Amino acid sequence: MSPYILEADALRKDFGGFSAVAGVNLRIQRGTIHALIGPNGAGKSTVFNLLTKFLQPTGGTITYNGQDITRLRPAAVARLGIVRSFQISAVFSHMTVRDNLRVALQRRLGTSFHFWRDSAGLDVLDGRAEQLIAAVGLQDAIDVIAAELSYGRRRALEIATTLALDPELLLLDEPMAGLGREDIGTISDLIRQVGERYTVLMVEHNLSVVSALSNRITVMARGQVLAEGSYAEVSANPDVRSAYMGAAHA
Amino acid sequence: MPDFLHVLPPAPVLFGQLLIGLINGSFYAMLSLGLAVIFGLLNIVNFAHGAQYMLGALCAYVLLTAFGIGYWPALVIAPVVVAASGIALERILLRHLYQVNHLYGMLLTFGVALVVEGLARQQFSASGNSYATPATLTSAWNLGFMFLPVYRAWVIGGSLAICLLTWFMIERTRLGAQLRAATENPLLTRAFGINVPRLVTVTYGFGVGLAALAGVMAAPVYQVNPQMGSDIIIVVFAVVVIGGMGSIMGAIVSGFGLGIAEGLTKVFYPQASTTVVFIIMAVVLLVRPNGLFGNMAAAQQGHATGGEALVKARTPVARRALLLAALVAGLLAPFAVYPLFLMKVLCFALFASAFNLLLGYGGLLSFGHAAYFGGASYVTAYCVKLLGFDPVLGIVAGVLGAGALGTVCGYLAIRRQGIYFSMITLALAQMVYFLAVQAPFTNNDEGIQGVPRGTLFGLVNLNDPLAMYYFVFACFAIGSLVVYRAINSPFGNVLRSIRENEARATSLGYFTERYKLLAFVLSTMIAGLAGSLDALVFQLASLTNVHWTMSGHAVLMTILGGVGTISGPLVGAFIVAGMENYLAHLGSWVTVIHGGIFIVCVMVFRRGIVGETAQLVLAWSKASRPPVDVGRFRRRFQ
Ligand SMILES: Nc1ncnc2c1ncn2[C@@H]1O[C@H](COP(=O)(O)OP(=O)(O)OP(=O)(O)O)[C@@H](O)[C@H]1O
Ligand SMILES: [Mg+2]
Repeated sequence: MSPYILEADALRKDFGGFSAVAGVNLRIQRGTIHALIGPNGAGKSTVFNLLTKFLQPTGGTITYNGQDITRLRPAAVARLGIVRSFQISAVFSHMTVRDNLRVALQRRLGTSFHFWRDSAGLDVLDGRAEQLIAAVGLQDAIDVIAAELSYGRRRALEIATTLALDPELLLLDEPMAGLGREDIGTISDLIRQVGERYTVLMVEHNLSVVSALSNRITVMARGQVLAEGSYAEVSANPDVRSAYMGAAHA
Repeated sequence: MPDFLHVLPPAPVLFGQLLIGLINGSFYAMLSLGLAVIFGLLNIVNFAHGAQYMLGALCAYVLLTAFGIGYWPALVIAPVVVAASGIALERILLRHLYQVNHLYGMLLTFGVALVVEGLARQQFSASGNSYATPATLTSAWNLGFMFLPVYRAWVIGGSLAICLLTWFMIERTRLGAQLRAATENPLLTRAFGINVPRLVTVTYGFGVGLAALAGVMAAPVYQVNPQMGSDIIIVVFAVVVIGGMGSIMGAIVSGFGLGIAEGLTKVFYPQASTTVVFIIMAVVLLVRPNGLFGNMAAAQQGHATGGEALVKARTPVARRALLLAALVAGLLAPFAVYPLFLMKVLCFALFASAFNLLLGYGGLLSFGHAAYFGGASYVTAYCVKLLGFDPVLGIVAGVLGAGALGTVCGYLAIRRQGIYFSMITLALAQMVYFLAVQAPFTNNDEGIQGVPRGTLFGLVNLNDPLAMYYFVFACFAIGSLVVYRAINSPFGNVLRSIRENEARATSLGYFTERYKLLAFVLSTMIAGLAGSLDALVFQLASLTNVHWTMSGHAVLMTILGGVGTISGPLVGAFIVAGMENYLAHLGSWVTVIHGGIFIVCVMVFRRGIVGETAQLVLAWSKASRPPVDVGRFRRRFQ
């Protein structure tokens, strides 16, 4: 088996005349936490959208576990085990924490089209749901409406629902965005734990988080890969330095 | 002479229809251009656009008849006056809706359209008032193969010039550059010191003025009448779906193009001339779901439909008690109130619940539910009266018919999201309406009359009002049960998650469009059940049931009662049916009142009667507890 779980080859996305992603090669090694960094507008989220098929690539191929997934639909990609989070936190706001988990878990039951059944049938999922909720430290909020959670706890809930799918590869888009200091610590720990069992690809601006968590880093700028390597290698690269300076990035 | 020439119509006919097509196309283009400009900046589908077009024509008519002011001054005065009213509307009402779901903007402007049309009907004859062609343009040019009336040439040339001028202004001038920047990123544009709110107001005023200008130009061509706006706006919605609202040129080209397509259809296959635009829309949705000129950015989905009340009697005991009370009330009701009125309420309530299933639990605002309600009533009436079906079989046929229609329409409509979904459902329903007007078995304006109620299972004579009432009540209970079960099922859980955040549901591995389609089909079948019952109760299936106002009723009842509440539709149905019965003598004022209710609900009463009441009770019971921690929700833009 190839050591790479996901390979993107010459990936490209044009919006009108503008190439947001202009020929990106990316290989994610199984079992690693891989970070994708770069200044604002570098094309990181677009790469995420391409890998998860929320956007259709203009060119290039995506291979996942040896299977070509370039033409699949986003839900089909998710079913293969690539599950993503979003830059703006994505929970089902008007549903309780428990119901958020249920939605993620119930697909496996194969009853999701059963409109004639009582939803009490989903109670069998509660054991697993509670386990996952506890794993991210939300056990005290199990019947709280998601919208009432703090931002950091919503991030945690999002990660719990992602884990509920038993994914192989997690794509996290700026998991630390908008979090306070303590929350960053909590979510970092969570990602580290997750990284022990799954492969993680994350976009993140917070470089101390990136250096602490990731084994490998790809730097993007203007739709292209600028450098790739360990944190030390990448941060010593003069191109990377100038890209960050040039973009006047904090 | 080659044979195929016989198939071609004589040149004057061909060119005559082509000319009419171009004239219609001119108005489509101007109106869809205005819609696109407004939508670009405000993110609101201006449902009042048709009414504002009508106001333009009416204004010109009043200027002429009351003040003796002629066409040319009216061409300036009327758009300015109507645009001013649009600016007032934006400042006073629309402005408050930019932060909430875009569907509310559509509902508000729908309410405004009802008010304006109702008032106009109250003041002016519905049959139409003719407006003389301005004296300077009464002659005609002989082009050799046909006579071209100068006024028509002016309409085509003038509107083309106005469209191109607008395009130039937006794409090539500084003001346009600001406008485009504000459309792309309002926050950033504001940071550059541009007064975005004023830009928004001006833009809305401009779009409305454009509609009114089209109205004045249309006055000598068509009859000036109060419903000329609602007649055209639905076609324009279809045009906009075809062209995509992201592109100014797209709006212009598809407007003229579809006008021509309509004209040509009138020559070669006149039966389809009223439906051809909708058929083209359906084809475009199949092959290019984002529209011919649509780009992804414009096609992106809006955010989840917020604002629905999450109301549910919390304890099973309370729920059972409520249910029992409702049952008893339902069984005793016919001894207190006229059964016929109650049956109307039940039909309406079932109809509204069907709609509510989609909007409240799927976040899908269908503006075309009349098609399924009315379609089923035709099927049932036909089967029972002409094929001799027994009432239950007749209802089954109606429900299945509505479901089949719902499957086709749903398949098309779910290809687009948010306001586009609403416009597509409306357009498809209008197509059904035109088919009902043309089909021989519907008897046009007369409808299918004298539908026998028959006997239930050969035992119970349904001509007895009480027996009929209990039959309707039983059907209503079954329909409500299906809705209730669907909401509280594994399917309902997924559906709700899609409403909350479709992208997230997709990333969890759900093929969301399949769930939306199932919800749509279920909803249309329940709407069909309501329509079938209606046909038996009133022994009539008529065009009223398929007209867009009936779709409006479903929306009204649900919004008024409370979106996303179980009992809201029933409450809404009581009020709307009551108004229809007891305020009928007020004529068009009822439309005005309906519109007013829409406006009030959208502005201050978004949870509806049931939702707001439940909220009060909840607040009251929570008063002793500390408030919830709403957290530090910092949303990142970009
Ligand atoms: N749907 C779209 N249409 C047009 N341009 C787009 C679209 N989506 C992204 N872009 C452009 O593509 C470029 C890359 O955007 P992307 O969101 O991928 O950047 P990013 O690296 O994630 O930035 P950030 O760190 O700010 O999240 C940007 O210039 C953006 O404006
Ligand atoms: Mg991004």
